[in-house]
Amino acid sequence: MREMIISELIQALHDLARGFAHFLPRLIVMLILAFAGWVIAYVVKVVLRSVLKLIKFDKLSENAGASQLLTRAALPSATELLTRFVFWVAWLGFILLGVSVLGILGLQEQIARFFLFVPRLFVAMFILFLGLLSASFFSRAALLAAVNANVPSPRVLSLAVRSIIIVFVLSIVFEELGLAEQTMLVAFGIAFGALMFGLAIAFGMGGRGLAQRFLEKKFVRGKKEENEDELSPL
Amino acid sequence: MPLHQDVLWYKDAIVYQVHVRTFQDSNGDGIGDFPGLEEKLDYLLELGINAIWLMPFFPSPLRDDGYDIADYSTVHSSYGTLEDFRKLLGSAHDRGIRVIIEMVLNHTSDQHPWFQESRSSKDNPRRDWYVWSDTNTRYQGTRIIFLDAETSNWAWDPISTSYYWHRFFSHQPDLNYDNPAVREQMWNVMKFWLEMGVDAFRLDAVPYLVEREGTNCENLLETHEILKELRRQLDEHFPGRMLLAEANQWPADLRPYFGDGDEFHMAFHFPLMPRMFMGLKLEDRKPITEILQQTPEIPPSCQWSLFLRNHDELTLEMVTDEERDYMYDMYAQDKTMRLNLGIRRRLAPLLNNDRRRIELMNGMLMSLPGTPIIYYGDEIGMGDNINLGDRNGVRTPMQWSGEWNGGFSAADPEHLYAPLIQDPVYGYPAVNVLRQKASEHSLLNWMRSIITVRRSTAVFGRGSIEFLYPANHRILAYVRRLGNEAVLVVNNLSGTAQAVELDLRRYKGNILIEMSGQNMFPRVGDQPYLLTMGPYQFYWFRLRRV
Amino acid sequence: METKLAEETFLTDDFLRQLINVGEVDILVGLPTHNNAKTIGSIVHTIQSGILQCFPRERAVIINADGGSRDGSTELVTGASIDDVRPASNLYALRTLHAISTQYASSPASGVALRTILAAAELLRAKACVVLSPESANIEPEWLAKLLHPVRRDGFDLVTPTYRRHKFEGLLITNLLYPMVRALYGVGIREAYTPEFGFSSRLGSHFLAQNAWNDGTGGTGVELRFALAAIAGGYRICQSFLGEKDHIERHAADLVPALRQTVGTLFSALEPDFPVWSTVAGSRPVPTTGADQEVLLEPLRVNRKRLREMFSTGVAELESVFESILSPSTLAELQRIARQGEEEFHYSGELWVKTVYEFAAAYQRSVISRDHIIQALAPIFRGRAFTFLMENRDASAEDVENNIEGLCLEFERLKPYLLQMWKSRE
Repeated sequence: MREMIISELIQALHDLARGFAHFLPRLIVMLILAFAGWVIAYVVKVVLRSVLKLIKFDKLSENAGASQLLTRAALPSATELLTRFVFWVAWLGFILLGVSVLGILGLQEQIARFFLFVPRLFVAMFILFLGLLSASFFSRAALLAAVNANVPSPRVLSLAVRSIIIVFVLSIVFEELGLAEQTMLVAFGIAFGALMFGLAIAFGMGGRGLAQRFLEKKFVRGKKEENEDELSPL
Repeated sequence: MPLHQDVLWYKDAIVYQVHVRTFQDSNGDGIGDFPGLEEKLDYLLELGINAIWLMPFFPSPLRDDGYDIADYSTVHSSYGTLEDFRKLLGSAHDRGIRVIIEMVLNHTSDQHPWFQESRSSKDNPRRDWYVWSDTNTRYQGTRIIFLDAETSNWAWDPISTSYYWHRFFSHQPDLNYDNPAVREQMWNVMKFWLEMGVDAFRLDAVPYLVEREGTNCENLLETHEILKELRRQLDEHFPGRMLLAEANQWPADLRPYFGDGDEFHMAFHFPLMPRMFMGLKLEDRKPITEILQQTPEIPPSCQWSLFLRNHDELTLEMVTDEERDYMYDMYAQDKTMRLNLGIRRRLAPLLNNDRRRIELMNGMLMSLPGTPIIYYGDEIGMGDNINLGDRNGVRTPMQWSGEWNGGFSAADPEHLYAPLIQDPVYGYPAVNVLRQKASEHSLLNWMRSIITVRRSTAVFGRGSIEFLYPANHRILAYVRRLGNEAVLVVNNLSGTAQAVELDLRRYKGNILIEMSGQNMFPRVGDQPYLLTMGPYQFYWFRLRRV
Repeated sequence: METKLAEETFLTDDFLRQLINVGEVDILVGLPTHNNAKTIGSIVHTIQSGILQCFPRERAVIINADGGSRDGSTELVTGASIDDVRPASNLYALRTLHAISTQYASSPASGVALRTILAAAELLRAKACVVLSPESANIEPEWLAKLLHPVRRDGFDLVTPTYRRHKFEGLLITNLLYPMVRALYGVGIREAYTPEFGFSSRLGSHFLAQNAWNDGTGGTGVELRFALAAIAGGYRICQSFLGEKDHIERHAADLVPALRQTVGTLFSALEPDFPVWSTVAGSRPVPTTGADQEVLLEPLRVNRKRLREMFSTGVAELESVFESILSPSTLAELQRIARQGEEEFHYSGELWVKTVYEFAAAYQRSVISRDHIIQALAPIFRGRAFTFLMENRDASAEDVENNIEGLCLEFERLKPYLLQMWKSRE
């Protein structure tokens, strides 16, 4: 009987060793992958940083108003942020690839889903960035136009424009990320509709005079009033 | 023997204007004469001339270039005898060359026997042959023509102690055309020469024949009556002879002199000539087309007479002040070239001896509606001598060769009636008939060929004219038509190459045949006809429908 | 002499054919139009008279560059040609006068119009050219001589006009354009932005070849760019007094487009012209022919209060925008005076110059959209206009000139400030 136990033991040890021998290379591969991934991600980060500097990404984000947000949140600059983000995503990708090599079931699926998710994440971020940019631009345009046309409460108008655009952009982003799509869409629809309705009433009642003048200018030719109070700047 | 075959011969004529004195001296006295001219008729025949116009050759004190005539019935002794003239006439007719002579109707020299008689006493039978008056206040307001020389149209005659009327120089008393005897006598004078065989008269100073109180004494109805009467008698007794009017007037004012085809056959178109020079300098056809647009229609038997230069200055009377200033600035910067209201230069010097421009101007002369007159010497591009005073600079001896006196005369150079041109560019060693005959591309040979082309068709002399108005204003283009024949003339008035599109839709289907080389050019289609022209180039195209 | 080929491929076949027929000219009159039938008839006849009176012997052509008129403007121009085809004209002319027209676009663009005219001038080898405005109904025949003789006779390359104007008209010019161009470029052109000017073939070809047509600004403000190109290229410039400047309709709303065409153009030109204006110090006057410009003094009713109010509102509402553009001190100053009442309000010359220069620097760095920077200048300008009106309310012509001169010197004095801001960006 002692021989049986010993041989079983030896058998078990063998099994363990085999299992270990089976597992160890994979572990090594995973570590190699992780290391390689780190190197590649680092290279990508450096290249991306140069590219972003070339296209003056910082400036763009400043225009978008994103820079101000980042500073307030005590985050580093947009370029820095983006490159780091890309670095981590890339490295994480390689690590997960390594982990998948390990062959642990169940994990494969999650990893696959992760990889499917990443592109959409990028797209959503891109949309968000563009959205912020245009919100900033158009709200400023509205502000300037209103001030120069002597329209009352120009800042309100500007803010309204900015809000509408941001809300719109956010809803698209959420849709893209697949987070509570329907809810967001409906919510946006309601908010937008309400806002428009409110604005319509406000403008309709308060902006009658302006609308009238506008229409006169556009459609009634030859009725240019000689406004002697105004000087020709040229 | 006179030639009478074609009553409209003057429409096909190429006229050569020459003064006997300048052409050829046969007897070595330094002055050209009739026998000399006769010797040179073959030269003219070869050139293509079929009519010569002789400047006044009558006996005369020569105080107005021979236009002050002292005897209507013979010739000045310097030029030969009457018999010499008869011989010349015969030789010319033998070669088919007609002869046009001058006839001054309006006045005579004060040396003329008629005037000598008329002034001798108030009872003289010829008293009434001139216009006398006790006062010089009659016909007030009549303009003085020679403003530089005269202050009044009346001159005082000490012999008969009264005033006599003269529209020109005071030594040229006006004949009195209210006197039938005068009219008859003048007709007899003309008859004398007509019977000898002369083919035509250039009638000088015709607007001034008759005076009437309260008028400007020009172009009066009575004058026209007299002229019509002369014409009537001419047609009756001498059919086929021609009357050419010298009247420096606007075309519209000239029109009455054609009557209804019962007065003058021809008249000079004075205003056109300076405008041709102007158009050339401006590089713009506008002055030319405008004057021709303003030219009235004339009776079918009548003809305009065209010329580039003549014995007088290039007259700038019939242009605006602006145009005159322009012409002076462009063509006569040197003020000594300016005389009266004109420029006293020959054709070649006016055009800076530019062969292309000389050809272009002659081309227009030969293709515009009218009978062309070539001034002697211009066919070889003779120069002028401004220092000779008055207009004598353009009346120097003809240059026949590079030899003694240019081949004009055997006399000593000091005896010549005027010195020859001697400068290196225009002088007789360089510019002469002999050399140009020998040179294939000389101006003389070119003139010969263009005259040949001109004479090859009756279109130029007798046809109508229709202007094309291409958008390129540097191009003067027109179509001459006669019956079924049509010739397209295109002239580039600018010194630079030009492209022009002509609207030839009316002539669609015609092939263009260039008339000097006889080569075909593309057929006229629907599209505007594109031509490219070199500097100062011109084309004559026969339009041929096959 | 080398002739550079112009970019003439944008000319229509028909126009090119017309140009071939016109041939070489001595004088070219360029006339851009867009629905100007009311005024163009008499203007064109005045041009005709001017040519016949002042240049009877020269070969001349009138080139009409039309931006899609539908009221027969082009026919009115081409009807002015004098030739032998229509001899009914009772005007006496020594030569043919061509008047041809081309439509360069279906909507007006002054840059393309000028480009067409310049291309035509180069192809026709015009020796002296003049561009006239289709709105100057008070033009006189002598204007042609005044704008062309300096080119023809005296060898100048650019002739800008000076006018008889009311002291309160053209404030954008007297308070910004003129002093700034003078201070930066060193040349005292009074009316650098002008729809009517004379120029030589040299300058025309130079400008045409610069190929500034594709820079995305659509050729706006080309009237100013032409003058700046002349200065930058070292061409000879002079001024000629024309007469009274025609009254164009005035609208407060016109300020922003005016700013775009003038200030926008000037700011965008500063970058490429940096080598030129950075090395210039001081300024030199421009030779002037004819009378000195005149200033009209009659009292003019102006809504000053509105100007000041719009300034204050602008400063308040646009704070977020100004923060990107102005330095903190300047902004603080502006806010301070915005709070002042009408009596104490004073927008000093020095502050104005600093404001303008900071705007220019911000424009160069594109801190925000460049068009927004220009728009933001509008209320600020109104404040300055208000001060100018107050200062010169009772001023004589001489006083007004002196005040303007003072402002010019201020611009010159503070030029290093602009240079400093400019360089610190790099």
